[in-house]
Amino acid sequence: MNDTDVPQAAVPSTIRMQREKFSFTGTTREYFGIWIVNVLLTIVTIGIYSAWAKVRRQRYFYGNTHLAGATFDYHARPIQILIGRIIVLVLLIAYNLLATFAPLVSGIFAVAFLFALPWFIMRGMRFSARVTSYRNVRFDFTGGYWGAFQAYILGGALIYGTAGILAPLASQWMWNYTLGNLRYGDRPIKSDPRLEKLYGQWWLPAFVLAGGFLVLVAVAVALVILFSTQIGEFFNTGDDPQVSPYMIVVLFYVAVVPFLILYFVAGLLYRAGTRNVALNETIIDDRHAMASCIHRGRYAWISITNLLATLATLGFARPWAAIRMARYLATVTALDTTGPLDVYVGTIRDEGGAVGSEYMDVEGFDLGF
Amino acid sequence: MASETRLPMAVEGLWRPPAVGRAKAAVLTVGPDATVTAADRDTGAIFSSAAFPTVRISDRVGSIPRNITFPDQSVFETSDNDTVDTLVRPHRKKNFGFIHGLERFHPRLVVLAALVVAFCFALYRFALPMLVEVAIVATPPVVPQLLSQGALASLDQTFFEPTKLSAERQKALTDQFTAIAALARGGNGVAAPAQVPPYTLNFRGGGSIGPNAFALPDGTVVLTDELVELAQDDEMVLGVLAHEIGHVDHQHSLRQLYRAAGVTALIMLIGGDIGSGTEDILVQGSALASLSYSRDAEAEADHYSVELMHKAGHDPAAIARFFELMRDKLGDKGENDFLSTHPATPERIAETKRYAEEIASRKK
Repeated sequence: MNDTDVPQAAVPSTIRMQREKFSFTGTTREYFGIWIVNVLLTIVTIGIYSAWAKVRRQRYFYGNTHLAGATFDYHARPIQILIGRIIVLVLLIAYNLLATFAPLVSGIFAVAFLFALPWFIMRGMRFSARVTSYRNVRFDFTGGYWGAFQAYILGGALIYGTAGILAPLASQWMWNYTLGNLRYGDRPIKSDPRLEKLYGQWWLPAFVLAGGFLVLVAVAVALVILFSTQIGEFFNTGDDPQVSPYMIVVLFYVAVVPFLILYFVAGLLYRAGTRNVALNETIIDDRHAMASCIHRGRYAWISITNLLATLATLGFARPWAAIRMARYLATVTALDTTGPLDVYVGTIRDEGGAVGSEYMDVEGFDLGF
Repeated sequence: MASETRLPMAVEGLWRPPAVGRAKAAVLTVGPDATVTAADRDTGAIFSSAAFPTVRISDRVGSIPRNITFPDQSVFETSDNDTVDTLVRPHRKKNFGFIHGLERFHPRLVVLAALVVAFCFALYRFALPMLVEVAIVATPPVVPQLLSQGALASLDQTFFEPTKLSAERQKALTDQFTAIAALARGGNGVAAPAQVPPYTLNFRGGGSIGPNAFALPDGTVVLTDELVELAQDDEMVLGVLAHEIGHVDHQHSLRQLYRAAGVTALIMLIGGDIGSGTEDILVQGSALASLSYSRDAEAEADHYSVELMHKAGHDPAAIARFFELMRDKLGDKGENDFLSTHPATPERIAETKRYAEEIASRKK
């Protein structure tokens, strides 16, 4: 191997650390065209083009992400994506059919599904890593089934079982699994976010969630007391043509939406904070250190205004929103290098099927690459 | 052609051996014999060379760099997209670069945006119902049978008790039910007779479900004792049963299922392009919209009950009378399952009454 003539740490004092910042050069003007054609052709082909759309979208975002004078690249072939999506859709439809008509049997399937999920995640991570390259060298993912089981099934149960109190532990498992099992070429990537640091990012969202919850409940109670007579009339008049299940469902949404927004905001703050912690403890090939400095408030602001703008424009602001977020994430991410980045060599491996990655995609999992 | 006298066109970029990170400055040329060659920019030494059809050229997306991959998996990379297109065009099919052409920033994009809006509407309004019909026709009869058996078995285990109605009472109701069901097969010409299954009436003790009646897609109709007791006469019971037959004849449950699946699948497929937040909101919105669809289905089944009862020589307004009874006896408290899916709203009572009169006068 060529690496042997670069003995690391032989002369530690001469190692020069150089900060390489990520940058994103995509523009709304350019992406809008790609996006509108993606959406149009996806609709016209009743979803079939979505596989091609995904490849074009990913290539646009990867190809515009620069690091140290080179870009990333996305190599999945649309036909792989299409096959993966068809399999996932068939599985989802079968599952929903069962859940609707045979609730008892579907309980068994739900449990079986819980055990299949880590496999989907594992294969999805592997596919996504293997179709990603930087400087012609592909990434790889070596995580196994039980790692995914711990990170996502046990981790998920832990979060819900302790009402979020142990969420940082689940985050530690998750980042360990996703980032710590990545490889760049034939070199390992390590990620070991420390628990106390993750807890350091936990207080603010926990406080927002608990405080906001109390405020909302207080407001709801106050409203019920203030308007108790009107509410009573509203529900008791049998002849009132306004009262229908439809209205009750709408009322339910009105009551639940503020809580969802609260949960959403707390989630944004937590995600941004833990991304900083995890990336700051990620080391590539034992010599290049990732660095992330997201400002939590700024990230939440961009996410929320992006969503509002997208909804207000019936989706047409989405290209602008996506570019804006990609640009922000690139500017707050860097790599502290202690040597050249072009000395790496990869192995060309079979990418495997895209079922896992498409399951994650269709269900809206965020890989966080 | 003039190109024969000129030097082969060239584009500058970087060349990398297979899976190797370090790049060399290179020049790519396409010779007159359609040979693609990457050579050292300074020395002219050939890195890789192959016939055009064996070389993979990545599609143009925005202004990101293009990759030209040789059969030996070495890669030439360049950001000079225009020159690559000029080099490649003579060797490609006519529609080469069509997608990228559409995507370019141009006033035409406004038209595409308008088309998206129009197609979204058309898809939801026309294509989706059509696909649902196709799916229903393509569903073999065994599917609703299996699904219905499963559903009934699980309800029997969880909620229902054996019926306490006497055998004579059961027989009386079953005979009348069979008589109207015989008229229902393919009733309105909505469903082809082959796909409408034979109807069977099943009696159950409602348990915590209380007064209720429902139909499963294979034609199994379930009636609870509590509903029979609640009704003042058999006509009312038959009116409700005719309503349930209407659901089966119109294949409402399968239709609703396919519709919900279709909408969700489409939202999920566009999901990557609209962001997960918007996707979640759309999925919730479509759930709300499907509520109004189920209201339409109820209205359709009401009309069906009126028509079928009239055809069988029964009281077409029986279902309207039953709704009035429900309203008076149970109130609109919403604590009853039958009420939550079959709301006895004033407009519903008025509409069934009106329709019953219309039918009665029309066919006299």
